[in-house]
Amino acid sequence: MAEKKRKSKEESGGGRLQKKRKNSKPKTLKKRTGPRLPSKLRKELDLVNPNPLKGGGDEEINSDEGELLANNLYEYEEAAAEEESKKNRRFDSVENFEYELPEDFKDENIASDDDDIEGEDEENNRSENSSHLGDEVEEEDDGRHMRMLQGITGMPSEAFEGKKRKNNVVVSEAYPESEYNPSRDVLEGNGRISIQDLLDPLHGKSGYSKLRKRMHQVERKSMSVHAPLPKADREKLERKVAYEQSKKDITKWEPLVKKNREAPTVYFDEDVDLGFSTVGAIASEFEPRTDFEKKIASLVHDDKVLEAHRQDGSRLLELNKISVEDVKERHNRIAKMRSLLFNHEMKAKRIKKIKSKTYHRLLKKDRLKTASAEIQMDPEAAKELAMKQEFKRAEERLTLKHKNSSKWAKRILKRGLDVQDEGTRAAITEQLHQHALLTRKMHSMKDTSSDESSDEDDFDENSAGSDEDGASKLLAKAKEKTLEVLEEEDKIPDSGVLSLPFMVRGLKKRKEAAYEEGKLAINEFEASLKQMELGGGAENLKETASSGRRVFGTVKKQIQEFSNKDAHYNNSDSEDEFKVKENIEAANDQNNNLPKHVDIDAGLLREESEIGQDPIFKSFNDIVRDPGPKTTYEVAMFASGSWKKMKSENEANGNIIKPPKSVEPPRHNKDQGEVGGDSDTDDEGQMVDGTLSSGMKATYELPSQAELIRRAFAGDDVEEDFEKDKDEILKGENPEPEKPVLLPGWGQWTHVQQKKGLPSWMLEEHEIAKKKREEALKKRKDAHLKHVIVSEKLDKKAEKLHTKTLPFPYTSKEVFEQSIRMPIGPEFNPAVVLGALNRPEVVKKAGVIIKPIKYKDVNPHEGVEEHGQGGKKQNTKKSKGMGGKTIKKTNNLKR
Amino acid sequence: MGVEQENGTPTEMVPASEQDISDELDVKVKKYLRGEGANLEALQDKKLKGQLVIREELYGKSAKAAAKAEKWLMPSEGGYLEAEGIEKTWRIKQESIAREVDILSSKNQYDIVLPELGPYTLDFTSSGRYMAVGGRKGHLAIIDMKNMGVIKDFQVRETVRDVVFLHNELFFAAAQKKYPYIYNRDGTELHCLKEHGSVLKLQFLKNHFLLASINKFGQLHYQDVTMGEMVGNYRTGLGRTAVMQVNPFNGVVGLGHSGGIVTMWKPTSSAPLVKMLCHHGPISALAFHPNGHLMATAGMDKKIKLWDLRKFEVLQTLPGHAKTLDFSQKGLLATGTGSFVQILGDFSGTENYSRYMGHSMAKGYQIGKVLFRPYEDVLSIGHSMGWSCILIPGSGEPNFDSWVANPFETSKQRREKEVHSLLDKLPPETIMLDPTKIGTVRQSRKREKPTKQERKAEMEAAVEDAKSIPLRKKMKGKNKPSKKVKKREEAVARAKKPFLERQMEEENLSTKKQKISGEIELPKSLQRFARKKATT
Repeated sequence: MAEKKRKSKEESGGGRLQKKRKNSKPKTLKKRTGPRLPSKLRKELDLVNPNPLKGGGDEEINSDEGELLANNLYEYEEAAAEEESKKNRRFDSVENFEYELPEDFKDENIASDDDDIEGEDEENNRSENSSHLGDEVEEEDDGRHMRMLQGITGMPSEAFEGKKRKNNVVVSEAYPESEYNPSRDVLEGNGRISIQDLLDPLHGKSGYSKLRKRMHQVERKSMSVHAPLPKADREKLERKVAYEQSKKDITKWEPLVKKNREAPTVYFDEDVDLGFSTVGAIASEFEPRTDFEKKIASLVHDDKVLEAHRQDGSRLLELNKISVEDVKERHNRIAKMRSLLFNHEMKAKRIKKIKSKTYHRLLKKDRLKTASAEIQMDPEAAKELAMKQEFKRAEERLTLKHKNSSKWAKRILKRGLDVQDEGTRAAITEQLHQHALLTRKMHSMKDTSSDESSDEDDFDENSAGSDEDGASKLLAKAKEKTLEVLEEEDKIPDSGVLSLPFMVRGLKKRKEAAYEEGKLAINEFEASLKQMELGGGAENLKETASSGRRVFGTVKKQIQEFSNKDAHYNNSDSEDEFKVKENIEAANDQNNNLPKHVDIDAGLLREESEIGQDPIFKSFNDIVRDPGPKTTYEVAMFASGSWKKMKSENEANGNIIKPPKSVEPPRHNKDQGEVGGDSDTDDEGQMVDGTLSSGMKATYELPSQAELIRRAFAGDDVEEDFEKDKDEILKGENPEPEKPVLLPGWGQWTHVQQKKGLPSWMLEEHEIAKKKREEALKKRKDAHLKHVIVSEKLDKKAEKLHTKTLPFPYTSKEVFEQSIRMPIGPEFNPAVVLGALNRPEVVKKAGVIIKPIKYKDVNPHEGVEEHGQGGKKQNTKKSKGMGGKTIKKTNNLKR
Repeated sequence: MGVEQENGTPTEMVPASEQDISDELDVKVKKYLRGEGANLEALQDKKLKGQLVIREELYGKSAKAAAKAEKWLMPSEGGYLEAEGIEKTWRIKQESIAREVDILSSKNQYDIVLPELGPYTLDFTSSGRYMAVGGRKGHLAIIDMKNMGVIKDFQVRETVRDVVFLHNELFFAAAQKKYPYIYNRDGTELHCLKEHGSVLKLQFLKNHFLLASINKFGQLHYQDVTMGEMVGNYRTGLGRTAVMQVNPFNGVVGLGHSGGIVTMWKPTSSAPLVKMLCHHGPISALAFHPNGHLMATAGMDKKIKLWDLRKFEVLQTLPGHAKTLDFSQKGLLATGTGSFVQILGDFSGTENYSRYMGHSMAKGYQIGKVLFRPYEDVLSIGHSMGWSCILIPGSGEPNFDSWVANPFETSKQRREKEVHSLLDKLPPETIMLDPTKIGTVRQSRKREKPTKQERKAEMEAAVEDAKSIPLRKKMKGKNKPSKKVKKREEAVARAKKPFLERQMEEENLSTKKQKISGEIELPKSLQRFARKKATT
C-alpha cells in the first residue's frame, strides 16, 4: 500500500507524461465500446500500447527499486494480487466492479501476460484516477500538453516516454539469475525449464536413450505425490485404527464376560489351599531370619539350657515357696487393718450423719477450745491462728460486714431500735459486738505472757459462763423436745398398712425402744442439769475435752442395766427410782455431760441394744406378741365365720338363681341353639344326680308344634337381615361422607344468605366424597355378590408377609409373582435341583483373594456349564494363561 | 358288580405306550410346576431375563423329577365301586362289599355298641392311625386303629361335647361341661383351658398349633398350644353354634350360624374374613374339601349346597338334611342324618356331586358325626349307640407320604416329627384366604390423609414420648439443670420435626397444585397466546 501511495505521488508529482497516458487510457477503453473511435487512433494505440506499458511497469520497478530489494523480489507480484483479493481496502470496491465487469476487456487480459499487467496497471491507474478526482483538471492539462507536443513534433506520444523506459529495463536484477533467484520469466511461468530442456544437452551421450525412455515412462504414468495430511487428521486416523484394533481385542473377552454374567453362580478360586489353619501350625513354620532371631533361637534350642531347665524347674518352684505361717500372719494383719479402717469409716459416717444443730454448735465450740489449747501448746499453731485472725480483722475492717451495713440491719435501724422486740435488739447488739471483736487490734505474738494470760482467763471465764448458760438452756430444750416426742408417739394409725397386726406389733416395739431411749435422754438431761446446778462455775475450769471415755463406759453399763430392768419390769414405775440413783452416780462421775455426749450415748445405746441384747428383746418381743396372735386369731375366726355366712348366702343365691331356667329370648333366630343348650343342661342334671346307669333313652324328641312353626319360618327375613348387615359393614369399612352442615347460626345473618343454602364448595365436596365411596364400593370383591361380605379390613399383622414394593430387578408384578410361585425348600424339591435352586450368587472361600479374570476361550453358544465341570475348566485354563500377552482386567468386568 | 378295593396293593401296570406315559408325565409336571412361568419375552431387563430363564429351567427339572417320582414311587391307585348293567353303586350294601374285599379291609367294618354313654363323637390323627372317641356322658377313649386296641379309655363323669387330637396322638383335647381339657394319651389331665368357657366344638390347626374353639356364647377362641398363649378371642355376635370346621387348605375357620350365615375367621382379625348367606335356615353342618376350594353346607331348609370358595358362588344345590358332613381325602362327601349315611362323589371331575353310596344304621341310631379315616377307605360314624365303621371304596388317599403323615410311625419318628413340626410352626398371621399370596406385592392402600386432629394427637404423643425418656446422669459439668432443660427441649424439637416437615410439604404441595391448576385453567383456544415461560 505504501508502495502505491508513493507511486501515485510520483506519478502526480514527477511524471507528467505518464499521467497523460493514464488519462488517455480510459478514453480508449470507452471508445472501444463506443462506436465513435477513429480507426486511425485505434490502430496507433494497438501498436503503441504494449511497449509503453511495459516500460511503465519497468519504470515502476526502477523507481521502486530500493524498496523492492528490501522487500525481496518475490513480493513483487503479490503487490498486484493483494489488491485483487480485495485486501486492500483503500480502493473503492464499487469502482472495481465497474472495471471488472466488461468481458471483452478480460478476454484481452487473458491473451497475454503483458496485457494482464497492463490491465492491472490500468486498473491501478484508474482507481487512482477516480481517487484523485480533484487532480482531473491537472491531468487534463497534462493531456493537452502531450497533444501539444505530439502536434508539434509529429511523433507518437510513446517517443517521449519510451526513451526513459528503455534505460530502465537494462538494469533489472540485483542478483545473478539462479535457481534461488529465478528470473522474471521463470516466475511468470513463461520460461519454465522442462525436463526436455534438461535432456537436450545430453543428447547423443551414452545412456541418453535409456534416460529418455525412462522419462517417457514416468510421464506416461505420471504419479503425483500428494502433500502429507495435516497432523490432526493423521492422528485422528491413527486413533481410529487403534480403536478398531482395541475393539477387536476387547470383543474377544465378550463371551467370557457374558458367560460370567449369565452364570447363576460365580465360583472363585475353588481349589486354593488356604494353608495354615491354626496358630500352632503357623508358629511351627517359623524360621529365624534376622541375627537377633537366630541368636534367640540358638539360646532357646540350646541343649544345655533345655537340660538345665528340665532339671532346675522343680527347684525353682521350691524357691517360690512361702511358709504357711507367713501367709497367715500377713492375712491376719491385713484383715485387722481392714477391719480397723472399716470401723473408723463407719464411725465417721455416723458422726457425719448427725444433723442436730446443737450438736454441731457444741462441736464447733469444742474444736475452738482445742484450738486455743493448741495455741498454748504449740507456737506454730498460735502463729497460724493469729494470722487467720488478722486476716479476718482485715476483712471485717474492709467490708464492715457487721457494722449494721446489711439490708436487714439498715431496715431495722431505719425503723428505730425502740420499736423492735428484744430479740432483734439483741441480734443487733450482737452484731455490733462481733464487729468490735473482730476489729479489735490483736496483740502481737511477741507480747508478754502475763498480759496474755490475764486476757485469756477473762475470755475463758466469759466463754465458760456463756457455755454453761447455753448448755443448761439447751439441755432444758432437749428434754422438752424428747418429752414432746414421747407423748406424740402414743398415737397409732388406725387405717392403712400400718394398722395391720404385725405392723402394729412392730410399731409398738419400736415405740418401746424409743421411749426408753427418750427416758434415758431425759434422765441424762436432768442429771446434767442438776450437776450443773451443783457444780457451779469453778468446776467448769477442770473440765477437759478428753473426759468422755470414762463416761461412755459407765453409761453403757447403766444402759445395760436399765434395759434389763426395762425388759423385766415391763415399763414399771420403779425405774424412776432406779434412775434417780443412777443419776446421782452419774453426777458424781460426770463432771460435764454435754449434749454431744448424750447424743452419742443414745446412738451407742441403740447399737448396743441391737447387737448385744437380742435375747432380751426377743423375750420382750414375745411378751408383746403374746396378745397379738390372739387378736388375729379372733379376727380370723370372725372372718371365716363371715365368709361362711357369705358362702351360705351365695349358695342360697345360687339356689334361687338356678331353678328358673334361662328364659328363652324371643329372637327366633337363636332358638335352635337354645334348644340344644337346654338339652345340655338336662344332661348335666343327670350327671350330677349320678344317674349314669340309667337305661338307654330316646334322645331324639319330636319338637313341639310351636317350635316347628318357628323353625319353618326361620329364614323369612334372613336375607333382609343379611342385607342390613352388609350395609352396616360397608358403612364401617367405607364410611359414608358426612352431610354438609353449617354451624347453627353461621351464614344466617340475612335472609339472602339463608336462601342461598349451603355454599357450593361444600356441596361439591360432598358429591366428590360420595362418588369416591361409590367407586370404592364397586371395587370391592363382593360388589356383585349379594349374599357375601368379604372383609376388606387390613390385617396389620399380616402386612409383614407381603412386600410393599417390587424387589429391585423386577419391574412388573406378574413376573415377580410368577417367579416366586415355586417353593425352593427341601420338602418340595428333589435333591437334584435343590442345590442349584438355593446356591448363592458368589461362592468363594473366606480369606482367599479374588484374582483378576484371565482370558480363556469360551464357546459363546454353549449354555451355562454345570458347576463342577466349569470350575475345573476354569482352573485348568488358568494355568495355561495367555502366554506373553497379558491384559489385566479386573473383576468388575463381570458385573 | 365288581369291587376294586386297593390299599397298598399295587395294581397291575398295563403296558402302556410311551406316548401315554409321557402324556401322564406332562400332566403331572404341570401340576408340580404350580402354574405358568412369566412371559419373559416382554421383559426389558436382559439380566433378569437370563436369571429367570435359568430359574425356570430348574423349576422344570424339579417338576419333572417330582412327576417321575410320583409316577414310579406311588404305585397304589385308589379303588372305586363300579356298577355293572342296571346296578347302582348306592344300592351296594356293606355286606356285599365285605364279601369282596381282603381280610384286612373287612376288619374295618364294625359296629361298637356302647349304649350307655352315647352319642359319640370322633377324631382321627392326621395319619389315621389313632382315633379318639368321646361319649356325651363322659366316656373318652383312644384307640389304635391298626390293631383295634384300646390305648386308654376313661370316664370324666361330665358332659363331653367334642374331642380333638392335637398334633399327634399323645395329646387330645376334650370339650367338657364347663371347660375344655387337654389330656395325654394315658388319660392324665394336663390342662384345663378355662378361658375358653363351655366349648361346643373344638378344632385343631396342625400347621399353626392352634386350638380353636367356639363356646356357648358364640365366642371364638384361638389358643397356641405350644406356649399356651391366647392368640385370639372374638365374639361372633351371631349366636350360639356348634358348627365349626377348619379349612385344611388355608387354616381359616368356618362357622355356621343360626341365621343361615357362614363366617370364616382368622386368628388375627376381629371381624370375619367372609360372611356369606348360605341358607335360609340355621346351618346344621359344614365341611371343606381338602383342596380348599370347595365347601359343603347343610341347612335346616333341607338343602345341601356346594360352594366354590374362589368365587363364593353356589356350584350345586342338593336336597336333603344333613346333621354332619365330611369330605374325604379324595373328595367324597359324606352326609349323615338320622340313622342314614349318604356318600356323594364326583367321578366326572367336574365337581358335580352325585349319589355314590349309602348306608343306613339300625333304626333309632342317631348319627352325630361322620368322619373319613385318612389314608383308608373307611368312614367312621359316631352315633347315639356307639360308633361304626363302614367301607367306602375310593375315599382315602392310597399313598401316604411319611414326611407328612405316617400311619406306621415309630415313636422315634414321632418324636423327630414333633420337633420338626414345632420348628416349622407357622405364625397365626399366615392364615389368610389365599395363602399363596404370601410374599407377593401388596401396595399399602392409600390411606386418607390423617385429619388435623389426628396429626396433632400423633405429634403430641411423640412429644410425650420424647419427654418421658429419662435422661442419663452426666458428669459434673454437664448435669446442670439448664443443660437438662435444653436437652429436653432439643428432644422435643426432634420429635416434632418430622411432623412439621410433613406439614410444610403438604402446604407446598397445595400451593403448587393451585399454581398448576391456575395454569391449566386457560381455555384451550387461548392457550397458544399464553406467554411461554423463558426456560433458562
